[in-house]
Amino acid sequence: MPIEVKNLTHVYMADTPFESRALNEVSLRIEDGEFVGIIGHTGSGKSTLISHLNALEKSAPGMVWVNGVDLGEKDVDLAKVRRTVGLVFQYPEYQLFEETVAKDIAFGPHNLKLPEEEVQRRVRNAMQQVGLDAKYAERSPFELSGGQKRRVAIAGVLAMEPSILILDEPAAGLDPVGRRDMLDLIASIHDRGVTVVMVSHSMDDVGQLCDRLFVLNHGTIAFSGRPEEVFVHGDELREIGLDVPECTKLADLLRKKGFDMPEGVYRMEDVRNAILEQLGKGGERTC
Amino acid sequence: MSEPIICARDVCFQYDDADHPAVDHVTLDVMKGEFLAILGRNGSGKSTFAKLLNALLLATSGTIEVDGLRATNEEDCFAVREVCGMVFQNPDNQIVATIVEEDCAFGLENLGVEPAEIRRRVDETLRAVGMEKYAETSPSMLSGGQKQRVAVAGVLAMKPKVIVFDESTAMLDPVGRRDVMNLARKLNREEGITIVWITHFMDEAVLADRVVVMDAGKIALQGTPREVFIRTKEIRALGLDVPGMMQLSAELRAAGLAGLSATTMTVEEMAEELCRLKSRI
Amino acid sequence: MLKDITLGQFFPGSSFLHKMDPRMKLILTFALIIIVFVSQGFVGFGLILAFVLLVTLSSGIAFKFLVRGLKPVLFIVLFTFVLNVFFQTGGEVIFKLSFLRITDGGLRMAFFLAARLVLLVICSQLLTLTTSPIALTDGLESLMRPLKRFHFPAHEIAMMMSIALRFIPTLMDEANKIMKAQTARGADFENGNLVQRAKAMVPLLVPLFVGSFRRAEELAMAMEARCYHGGEGRTRMRQLRYGWRDGTAAGVMAALLAAVLLLNYFRVV
Repeated sequence: MPIEVKNLTHVYMADTPFESRALNEVSLRIEDGEFVGIIGHTGSGKSTLISHLNALEKSAPGMVWVNGVDLGEKDVDLAKVRRTVGLVFQYPEYQLFEETVAKDIAFGPHNLKLPEEEVQRRVRNAMQQVGLDAKYAERSPFELSGGQKRRVAIAGVLAMEPSILILDEPAAGLDPVGRRDMLDLIASIHDRGVTVVMVSHSMDDVGQLCDRLFVLNHGTIAFSGRPEEVFVHGDELREIGLDVPECTKLADLLRKKGFDMPEGVYRMEDVRNAILEQLGKGGERTC
Repeated sequence: MSEPIICARDVCFQYDDADHPAVDHVTLDVMKGEFLAILGRNGSGKSTFAKLLNALLLATSGTIEVDGLRATNEEDCFAVREVCGMVFQNPDNQIVATIVEEDCAFGLENLGVEPAEIRRRVDETLRAVGMEKYAETSPSMLSGGQKQRVAVAGVLAMKPKVIVFDESTAMLDPVGRRDVMNLARKLNREEGITIVWITHFMDEAVLADRVVVMDAGKIALQGTPREVFIRTKEIRALGLDVPGMMQLSAELRAAGLAGLSATTMTVEEMAEELCRLKSRI
Repeated sequence: MLKDITLGQFFPGSSFLHKMDPRMKLILTFALIIIVFVSQGFVGFGLILAFVLLVTLSSGIAFKFLVRGLKPVLFIVLFTFVLNVFFQTGGEVIFKLSFLRITDGGLRMAFFLAARLVLLVICSQLLTLTTSPIALTDGLESLMRPLKRFHFPAHEIAMMMSIALRFIPTLMDEANKIMKAQTARGADFENGNLVQRAKAMVPLLVPLFVGSFRRAEELAMAMEARCYHGGEGRTRMRQLRYGWRDGTAAGVMAALLAAVLLLNYFRVV
């Protein structure tokens, strides 16, 4: 079991007038090789949750496990946790600092005290994985375009060769092409056997990619399950400031108007096929 | 809607260190009271064009007139900026003051308006953007959407005729995006303020009166959202998305539902269209 | 450590002190500091201490805040005290150990100096705790305005202070985020010797600087877009006005100064 969270509660600034509960009794399990989406609006506690999965926030013992290791234990090997769980924050390009792309990507492996040859192998490998041509290795990361910088930052995390990758809003601020490329990149990382956890507020993106979703609201899990199980709750999701994919919305509307549409349907092609079945190409022909 | 408030004629702009122009012979009129969306991928020149409109950048060649003032003349730049306000992308980097109402007053203070009049306009403006409760709050305590509303207030207090939103929703979450978009539409409808909305989100452009698509510094396409987005292939080639419903409509038509309108853009329209077809079976 | 620094922190309220004009508060704080340094004897210090305690009580600020604010300067106070005890001479020797001597005069000097430092910190704390940063910058700008004639950049300094205040929380937030991101990449900000720790700051400081420059550029553009062109012809929404409180406070301060001067004159210690 790569990730298990049991009754995790996190309170910021406890015992002060500013006390706020970021997480309240959150429990979840993520299996090997899964692609999981965490959805919630700003302040729902999703950032706090992913920080716990990397031991950046310290939990009490018996709350968070990664590969069977309790991250709350005093003598937990933090270096090992960070090697296992890669964490890509929102707008990761703002953390680049080295003179060259290659040096920046090597930062993580160097921190792991790996031999130089291995570091260089990982740098080359990571650059290839994120689709950065080798010619960029000696360039300054600050000269690259926004999308490329983000790739460098992700490569910097991939170079740690984590078996679990967590990404916070990886497509934020990108234009449509950049966005599609980024999602393709994440899908390809997942295809290589990495367990992926993606935080997003785009229902379309998580619907497209994820096996399972967790919807966070005010520090608790409001809904969880396969996308179609979550998207059934259109009205409740709207109530907490979220939404369902556009085609789910269409299906819901059509169902109210007497169409026979499957519940929670979220793929454009499924909606299209359901509509065609209802109206039937045959129906149209008889007209 | 009849007369233009912004006339750009053959405008070019090239950054000092660039080898080709960022804005390349653009001619465009923006009508009074219009909600115009300028759509384009990153690096298409849309943000540069926006900065030419209120003389933050001065065009290399060509002319831009804003409400009769020359945005291409350095002497007119303050007058132009008073008429044509601008809301930027990053909510954190455009708020100057440590409390909300002081920030709202910033532009008016720069214009040398009387203190009592500033007070009056600040109160009025904060009410108009729904931030009156936060008048004495520090901006760092606000959400991204709220910060953008403060930024809008700072511009609105100067009573501009045009407000340019330069990717003002790009860094916000869906709630904040909806919030700022609705505010812009309200100002357009109720106050008659002309809006130039720069974005790469197709779903925002859909709500505009007119869409201009820029690419490589030039205007690639323009027209009403329906006229523009029906050109699915071209839009894709320009690195943009088409509305999901338009895509679905194309697929359904290809699969044999020939009676379906090709210009269906919203979920509601699509549902209505399909009901109409169903009733005919 | 950071949370112990109360200097520069504002404590909202509606007391007499809170409602005073920031300019008068600045002037009177300065006056009080002068009085503290002019005062010579125990009686004088007792008087000032009583006055400061009274003012603190009336401002509604908890004493523990003031005490907490003293913590960071405690070391300096103790250091000067010890230094003065041993190296100030004069008066009778009351203790002697090889080359170390303590005289009653030295002891007195050391005590007064420490007392002055403590009072100095308390006075400036009372100012910042009861005055919002924005009022403080307004006050400073207004007080510095006459210096413009000598090409002193009064407006620019006030604007810089205000922007700094505005961006402190934003940059703290950003520093926190970058630190987390680098920690996730295996960076270690806490362990190691001084050199190692200084080196470990590079991955934090470089992005922070790059980010600050980006912000500064964008902010400058946003300010220009709102017609900012320096202090020339600029008005302010907030107008500072002296009221009865300011007159009263000035009067009280004058009386305190007179009392201390009289005590000095008659050598009451």
